[in-house]
Amino acid sequence: SIATVCAPAASATTLKVATLAPEGSVWDQAYRDMGQAWADGTDGAVTLRLYGGGVAGDEPATVRKMRIGQLHGAVLTVAGLQVIDPVFAVFEIPMFFDSYAELEHVLDAMRPDFEQRLDAAGYAMLGWSQAGWVHLFSTEPVRTVDELKTLKLYSWAGDTSTATMWRQNGFQPVSVASTDILTGLQTGMLEAVPTTPLAAASLQWFRQTPYMQDLGFAPLVGAIMVSKRAFSRLDPVHQKVLRQAGQTTEDRLFEDVPARDSEAVAEMSKRGLEVVEVPAEHEQAWRDAAEIFADHRRQGLDDKAFLDRVRAVRDAYRAAHDTP
Amino acid sequence: MSAPPPADAPATSGGPSTRSRSTLGRWIDRVESGVGGILFLAIVFLLTTEIVLRALGGVGVPGALPVVRHLTLWLAFLGAALAASDDKMLALATGQLMPEGRWRSGARALASTVAAAATALLARASFDFLAVEKEFGDVVAYGVPVWVALLVLPASLVLVGLRLVLHAGAGPARAAAALGLVGGLALGHWPQAMDGWPVVPVLAVFAVAMLAGAPIFAVLGGVAVVLFAVDAVPMAAVPVETYRLAVSPTLPAIPLFTLTGFLLAEGKASQRLIDVFRALVGWIPGGTAVVAAVVCAFFTVFTGGSGVTILALGGLLFQALGADGYRERFSIGLLTASGSLGLLLPPALPLILYGIVAEVPIPDLFLGGVLPGLLLVALIAAWGVREGVLMDRLRKATTGVSHRASFELRTAGAALWRAKWELLLPGLLVGAILGGVATPVEAAALSVVYVLLLQCVVHRDLHPLRDLPRVLRECTVLVGGVLIILCVAMGLTSYLIDAQVPMQLLEWVQAHVSSPLVFLLMLNLFLLLVGCLMDIFSATVVVVPLIVPLGLAYGIHPVHLGIIFIANLELGYLTPPVGLNLFLASYRFERPLLSVYRAALPMLAILGIGVLLITYVPWLTTALLGS
Ligand code: NA
Ligand code: NA
Repeated sequence: SIATVCAPAASATTLKVATLAPEGSVWDQAYRDMGQAWADGTDGAVTLRLYGGGVAGDEPATVRKMRIGQLHGAVLTVAGLQVIDPVFAVFEIPMFFDSYAELEHVLDAMRPDFEQRLDAAGYAMLGWSQAGWVHLFSTEPVRTVDELKTLKLYSWAGDTSTATMWRQNGFQPVSVASTDILTGLQTGMLEAVPTTPLAAASLQWFRQTPYMQDLGFAPLVGAIMVSKRAFSRLDPVHQKVLRQAGQTTEDRLFEDVPARDSEAVAEMSKRGLEVVEVPAEHEQAWRDAAEIFADHRRQGLDDKAFLDRVRAVRDAYRAAHDTP
Repeated sequence: MSAPPPADAPATSGGPSTRSRSTLGRWIDRVESGVGGILFLAIVFLLTTEIVLRALGGVGVPGALPVVRHLTLWLAFLGAALAASDDKMLALATGQLMPEGRWRSGARALASTVAAAATALLARASFDFLAVEKEFGDVVAYGVPVWVALLVLPASLVLVGLRLVLHAGAGPARAAAALGLVGGLALGHWPQAMDGWPVVPVLAVFAVAMLAGAPIFAVLGGVAVVLFAVDAVPMAAVPVETYRLAVSPTLPAIPLFTLTGFLLAEGKASQRLIDVFRALVGWIPGGTAVVAAVVCAFFTVFTGGSGVTILALGGLLFQALGADGYRERFSIGLLTASGSLGLLLPPALPLILYGIVAEVPIPDLFLGGVLPGLLLVALIAAWGVREGVLMDRLRKATTGVSHRASFELRTAGAALWRAKWELLLPGLLVGAILGGVATPVEAAALSVVYVLLLQCVVHRDLHPLRDLPRVLRECTVLVGGVLIILCVAMGLTSYLIDAQVPMQLLEWVQAHVSSPLVFLLMLNLFLLLVGCLMDIFSATVVVVPLIVPLGLAYGIHPVHLGIIFIANLELGYLTPPVGLNLFLASYRFERPLLSVYRAALPMLAILGIGVLLITYVPWLTTALLGS
């Protein structure tokens, strides 16, 4: 365990950090190594105590625990980041990013802006995290937008405005709690769920949804962060060590995670998953549907200009690399 | 072991309460009861509307789910305040073992003082949490901020604290409790005073208070707050978890199924069910005993582990058994054991709560519990048949005639027809869930609507204006008493996780136990001990997070682990000295505790065999689960 690996020094600070990543996963290992780097780089003055596998609660609960000061940090995905600042909704927009390369460029270019926003909300960002690319998993093959409209699509329970938007555009959103997804798939209450291949494999959802669309929906982006209340108490030299270790972890996840996506798909394919190819002539229809979603998200933001800036950075990258 | 509030049960946190209320007190009570009833009905209405709108292809009521969850939070804490007002907070029944007079009133004064201090600490901690949330302005729905929803926490805790003082006893006792309340508030203001306190004496004080009859919620919550403060972690860590559990998506199923049980217990539904099973199995030897086991199991499925079954059915069944010539000791033992039969059968509350805490799909637990649940019912029924055969033989020897009833198709048909609506309910519920029509929570709401229609319209056993408010109030009190325990127990669990206890336990057990069979045996012994000391609800919240990683490490199927857990705790209801059913039976049948202990011993042995079978034959659990 981390607690025993890192023998605390005389005036050691232990930072409690929570993540949903299960123990033994590629993320768990990366964060533990990050903790080792903290301890090594600060001569044991700063150590990490990791609460993995969601034992500290879901992401909104994790945010509340950071606010009251029980937890010092967390690795949050968009679900938790949106509680802190709604602009992180940009990472939820389907087909906003086309590839990891494009995503990496935008994350790098916009890093100071996102860092600043988190700083304003009371958090020091140590690095980006990657949880995989979200695809549509369904009980029937889905090639066209119209085919998706015939299926009951999972829609997060708390977000009625998104469900209404789906409904108005002819889809069949079903609002249930995320804990009810597996049950919903088993009983037929749900027929399509957007999720990452890794989650579909480890949560066993894919047994109920044997079809995965090849067209990726969105990257599941996260951030490694520590509350400023805890971070500002550290020695500036130690702060630098933490930032460096965060960057190392970010680089490592960018390198490891994309490969894990395809490994998970290969593994599930052996056990009956079928990857459904979207015909080229239907791709534009999917992009148009995604654009409706993007518009809806943009309307919900106070700072619309920020979203537009992210889009501009992405478009500049696309122009320079000659992609649509 | 914890006592249920209905019908002035004896094992609540103390003796007779001061019944005389001031006019103001009555008004406050009326407002609280009214709001509680409205919350209940609003939750039912919103969830039922969701099902209907989804069936019609709509998106549902905007924000219905977050609203329902926060209404449940309010219901829980309002109910707790009402329970405190009635002096019916759930507490250990050990106070009953104490001699009447000076000792008992002294114990009550001590218990009230510690409980008042703990409640004050919890109130302050929730206020701290509220103040932090207010800074950030998260919204529930319709622009209502989360902090406004959270106001119910400190408000009702303050009310509970004041009521604990009021019910502490005579002048000096009340003064001591008031001092406890003030002391708690002072400590809450300077929590750094508790930093580094020695843990063992703190735990000892709370343990003594618990034995003296302090409400369980105050003990668990007080321990959690103080332990966090000792580690210099903000006390708000407890209410954060309270809030997390209270607004968890499946929690509303607990109050809703409890309400279903309360509504069913009204009127003549129990008599109708007894008639059916008597007509069906009354002709076999020991038929009436079998009927008692089956009817109790049927009821407990809906009333959960709350003890309502013994209180609601005990009298009727005790009479029926006596009339058929069963020995009193046998009858008491049988009914005491039957009061917790059915906890493994869907949709019993312990299954739902286990699903919430362990994050196991609830329909899987429902399916997994069927065979083990039926096994336990069958074992008790078999014991009844044995008694019936012995009785019959004795009668034949003395009088020369057998007294057995004969099976009559016409009677059975008529009884079945009269009870058809009640008998349809379990099938309807399980069908709605497995058929994808409703989530477990929505199915719970559906069952309330169904039983309401049944009792108010079809049978007219329940008058919507004369009776319903009373039933809603009784149910709110029970639900509040249970949910507040769950909510603060989450805080204690959070402390254990914060201190990395599950991880250390896992490492220790893995280092010392290699065989899964030995692990299961240890688990049985451990859970039996837990069952003796804790009620099923707080045990689920506190202990499940400790054993889930262990079960995974030893390759126990997660559903099987849940069924083992609940089956073991079911035994705990019967285990002297503090099993809940023992106290209820003593109260209901007006017999001394010791004679109830004696009567329950054979049942304990029989159910023990059942629990071992459930533990070591995983097939019983996994057979219906499929792949
Ligand atoms: Na969770
Ligand atoms: Na659920």
